[in-house]
Amino acid sequence: MSKAVLVDLTRCIGCRACQVACKEWNRLPAENTRFRGLGGGYENPPALTGKTFTRITFHEVVGANGALERSVFVKRQCMHCLEPACASACPVTALEKVKANGSSLGPVIYHPDRCMGCRYCMLACPFNVPTLQWDRVVPYIRKCTFCFDRQTRPIACTEVNGTGLSDESRGRYSAALQTPACVKTCPTGALQFGEREALLLEARRRIAERRKTGGGWQYVDHIYGEKEVGGTSWMYLSSVPFEKIGFRTDLGERPYPSYTLPAIKAVPGAVLGVGAVLGAAYWLSQRKGEKSEKKETAKV
Amino acid sequence: MGMTRRSFLGASGGLLGFLGLDLGAAAIAADEKAAALARCRITTSICPYCGVGCGLLVMSEERGGRRAVVHVEGDPDHPINEGALCPKGSSLVQLANGEKRLRKVLYRAPGATDFVEKDWNWAAREIAKRIKATRDATFVEKNAQGQTVNRTTAIASVGSAAMDNEECWLYQKMLRGLGLVAIEHQARLCHSSTVASLAASFGRGAMTNHWIDIQNSDCILIMGSNPAENHPLSFRWVMKAKEKGATVICVDPRFTRSAAAADIYAPLRAGTDIAFLGGMIKYILDGDLIHKDYVLHYTNASFLVKEGFAFDEAAGVFSGYDPQTRKYNAETWQYQLDEAGEPRKDPTLQHPQCVYQLLKKHYARYTLEKVSSVTGTPVADLKRVYEAYSRTGAPDKAGTILYAMGWTQHTVGTQYIRTMAVVQLLLGNIGRAGGGVNAMRGESNVQGSTDHALLFHILPGYLKIPTAPQQTLEVYNAQGAPKTIGKLSANWWQNYPKYAVSFLKAMFGDAARKENEFGYAWLPKIEAGANHSWLAIFDEMYRGNVKGFLCWGQNPACSGANAHKTRAALAKLDWLVNVNIFPSESGWFFQDRNLRDPETDKPIRPEDIKTEVFVLPCAASLEKEGSLTNSGRWMQWRYKAAEPPGDARPDAEIMNLIFREIRKLYATEGGKCPEPILNLKWDYFDEKGEFDPHAVAKEINGYFLEDVKVGDQTFRKGQLVPGFANLQADGTTSCGCWIYCGSYTDKGNMAARRRREDPSGIGLYPEWSWCWPVNRRILYNRASVDLQGRPWDPKRPTLAWKDGKWVGDVPDGPWPPMAVDPEKTKYPFIMCNEGHARLFAAGLADGPFPEHYEPLESPLERNPFNGQMVNPATKLWKGPADKCSECGSKEFPYVCTTYRLTEHWQTGVMTRHTPWLLELQPQLFVEMSWELAREKGIRPGDQVRVCSKRGAVTAIALPTARLKPLVVMGRTIHQVGLPWCFGWKMPEDGSGGDSANLLTPNVGDANTMIPESKVFLVDINKLDTRKHPQAAL
Repeated sequence: MSKAVLVDLTRCIGCRACQVACKEWNRLPAENTRFRGLGGGYENPPALTGKTFTRITFHEVVGANGALERSVFVKRQCMHCLEPACASACPVTALEKVKANGSSLGPVIYHPDRCMGCRYCMLACPFNVPTLQWDRVVPYIRKCTFCFDRQTRPIACTEVNGTGLSDESRGRYSAALQTPACVKTCPTGALQFGEREALLLEARRRIAERRKTGGGWQYVDHIYGEKEVGGTSWMYLSSVPFEKIGFRTDLGERPYPSYTLPAIKAVPGAVLGVGAVLGAAYWLSQRKGEKSEKKETAKV
Repeated sequence: MGMTRRSFLGASGGLLGFLGLDLGAAAIAADEKAAALARCRITTSICPYCGVGCGLLVMSEERGGRRAVVHVEGDPDHPINEGALCPKGSSLVQLANGEKRLRKVLYRAPGATDFVEKDWNWAAREIAKRIKATRDATFVEKNAQGQTVNRTTAIASVGSAAMDNEECWLYQKMLRGLGLVAIEHQARLCHSSTVASLAASFGRGAMTNHWIDIQNSDCILIMGSNPAENHPLSFRWVMKAKEKGATVICVDPRFTRSAAAADIYAPLRAGTDIAFLGGMIKYILDGDLIHKDYVLHYTNASFLVKEGFAFDEAAGVFSGYDPQTRKYNAETWQYQLDEAGEPRKDPTLQHPQCVYQLLKKHYARYTLEKVSSVTGTPVADLKRVYEAYSRTGAPDKAGTILYAMGWTQHTVGTQYIRTMAVVQLLLGNIGRAGGGVNAMRGESNVQGSTDHALLFHILPGYLKIPTAPQQTLEVYNAQGAPKTIGKLSANWWQNYPKYAVSFLKAMFGDAARKENEFGYAWLPKIEAGANHSWLAIFDEMYRGNVKGFLCWGQNPACSGANAHKTRAALAKLDWLVNVNIFPSESGWFFQDRNLRDPETDKPIRPEDIKTEVFVLPCAASLEKEGSLTNSGRWMQWRYKAAEPPGDARPDAEIMNLIFREIRKLYATEGGKCPEPILNLKWDYFDEKGEFDPHAVAKEINGYFLEDVKVGDQTFRKGQLVPGFANLQADGTTSCGCWIYCGSYTDKGNMAARRRREDPSGIGLYPEWSWCWPVNRRILYNRASVDLQGRPWDPKRPTLAWKDGKWVGDVPDGPWPPMAVDPEKTKYPFIMCNEGHARLFAAGLADGPFPEHYEPLESPLERNPFNGQMVNPATKLWKGPADKCSECGSKEFPYVCTTYRLTEHWQTGVMTRHTPWLLELQPQLFVEMSWELAREKGIRPGDQVRVCSKRGAVTAIALPTARLKPLVVMGRTIHQVGLPWCFGWKMPEDGSGGDSANLLTPNVGDANTMIPESKVFLVDINKLDTRKHPQAAL
């Protein structure tokens, strides 16, 4: 029971509506950019920053003879991992995988009032997502919020132009206004929002369906984010091998917190254990001291 | 301690905020945002950018006594975009609230370097005075032949596809009331060749199908366009088609973001699409892949053409050519008619003079090898494209073409489109779901502005502008209605007089009476064959013959081909009125540091420019109510969400301010020919000057002016006309634009409908908005069925004859199928006077069959297909500012094309002022192949100078694998590409670069004079930014 997004890279046309809708919804200012031709295309801004929560990277997959095989556009943003490394690394619980009734809702959100600016989250994230507001005197960590506010406090719309909506329209509006801004605005439906399990089924269905009908857009038989780092909420389908389009394929399937969890779990025991040992040693040495004092007093 | 980190920050935030340090406490902002949005009023609108016409949800609230837009997102109920928006639509809140929005009336005095602020009353009076003075000084009541023409050519107007329908119609009314003939706008530059071409082929000059219908296609050819970038929401439907198994083909000089999604991509040399498609025609004919029944019964394939018709390959011209006048006499292109006036036909399609055999003969030269050699497309790629697309000739398959400027903007633009029209007719793809010729228009209301005739050669509804020899209404009407050929031809244009008279009643109201020919004499008349199109206007302006210019919602300094000439022309005006929402290169032309005399190359300085400039701030689309028509002919109503900023006003109110003053002057002072001005029906404003768009919408729809009996129905005086079949030629009806008749009736405002039902199942949405004509969603749909009325494809029926009537879309003419009732039937192409679609189209200026000609500036020295280099029927401008390079030039060895980007729009006035969009595409760049880059020693990121015979721009080099050198006629040809959305005015430091139109040639198509902006020759060299710092970005 957790919200997720399936990104079908075979549908993305690199238009960057998602970038603009994100800035619009989050009231983020534009950056001062220059044309750099990054990715052989039009990438801008060149990185995720405190003002840019999502961006499209451009990739040209070129064959051996220099011929262009594929031109691919990839949306980058926080992956909203099921077990986020950032939340685990954060000493003050400023990052939180939101839960309700024991299961996660999807978003990994950030509490600026708890943050102490240590930036461990930036070091921990395998996807290099959290960024700091380097240009501010009091900087915060910034990243995609998975439109947590749209999901949990959607705009209520019961009438437009002064006229009430039909029941069918009301349902349609309600679903749309709870959808993350980027997903909703995507012109080609490359982004699909829903329950993670249902999206995984849909992803597998698409892979199988396309294999059946043939053609040149066969998906790589892998759903990126299904298992990587223990699973992420943002998952990808691609017809080009993931390593050719800027995805890390060396992350493994263990959730990052699980690497440190045994050590951290051991801390209370270790503290108590070592404390007990030191306490015992102290008691023993105290007793030793008392015994020799007694001996001294007896002699006199 | 009760203080949390948040409240500490909140408290100190005020102080630090004052010190200019924004702490960005996100949590506080989120609460405030949710609260603000909850307070908002929600209205709908339609995006002001491209011609897809996406629905918007606009959230606004009162702020400081003024209603402002707070948030914009897609309308989930809108059937085309379904809540999605491209980056431009997503950025609209920044447009509405833009810092640089024009808020004040501005005036630039002669010789001044800057503007001063003024108020509306002053501006209206001063502008009215100048219009009157110039008009009175230059008005021609009778021409040299003594014919009444009542016109002035010394005042010109361009604009605007950005205005609502009601404003467009009002504007053409005002201009024609003043006697202007030099009236143009964006449509001339973008799809004028489409209108001529499709009208000549099918009878109407508009996109035949509509956006959602693309999903129904089996094979989508993207050529001469880049819909993924320039009509992004169209691609929603391309993707849906792909999911259903459609093949997507993309043919383009560059591998674009559309090509990235295509199953088949083929490169080609810019300017050779007729060769490419001519090869496809040959392939289809050779392989007998035509849809036989369709071709035989619905096209003019079987018609016999006069014996004198011929194509002379050596001379490169059709029969009837006069090299002195560069014009054709089309006498030998006419059909053979029998004694009864019926066209002679050969149903076996064997007769050597039948259109089918003439077609075969004409394209026999377009072999795979020849086509490959001319286009540079490898033979294997040609075959792949031809084979895939021609499969749609099967009766149950439908193929569609998505095209735009890559086809329209050529000296042979009209014929480019004609070639595809021929392909589509051979394959039986016109009139059915998933088929059609989808001319993708680029502005939100360029369809409407064209329909309402902001073009010199037409009146609203595609009536013709009257010419001087047409001195009486009777002659004008007789010449407007074509002769019916064939007794089963509906020849709907024979109703011309009804539409013309109803239009005159809408223009002059009660002053239009039978006795004065309904005011016909008051309409300005052009000389027969006169050319007042865009290129002609700017040529006249450059020569000093245009004294006053209304530049209304357009930016010619960046959109005009040969922009140096255009900009220099502005400097010769006496006065210029510029209406816009942002500052532009046109209104601010006198501040252009690069402004120069194109003949001497000497700079033109502000102190030498006498032009008075009036800048009038207008309302943006979200700030007014009215309708607009998307590319699919859907007329959609939108609502006002916010007040315009500062002193900005809706365009209609600005027109009224000025026109009211002009009327006052003529009423009190008299002047030249005041009658049309004083008698113009102008009652759409209240005493405060507030505009009622509904009043104009109803005027456009039309009224019964008396009790009228039509058939067995009686209509009362004052009733709105329910459809154009009820319009009369005797002055008892009025109608501003006959094709919009039925849009606002006693049932209400049809354009405002929002019903989501789609009983057809193929995405017609018959009760969402209203489309012309008569809400028919797919044009020519009676060709989607066989002679019995059964759909060619029962799985995607557009129309079907069931139980004695048509079901499905609104039938294109109510008549029964041809075999069901051979007496009562009519042929399906009712707007063609012979009722058949035209493989052979005799009504065009440059030939009934498309033929390959080279562009004006070609890398070749001879045309490989025939003995004529450039289109023999097109006007060539030979003035000192009309420089062009020689063909096969060594000085300009590379072929250059221009294009658009998703993130910007047209000249960029709106999008360069939207920071979220400028962030995505901040600077002019030039794309070239790696091979060319290596040859010229250019590395990625280098600043380079791209220059043509007319001008140069600095751009950032982007070598890419998406462009490859082509082998053409045995030689390697390099192509480069420039987006044309930049301009010196914004970004203000000039870092964005300038318009690619500084390089394009001012030569136009033979039929419509659309400029050839898509192909010309350039040189490209690395810029030494130390030596030429002023040229650097």
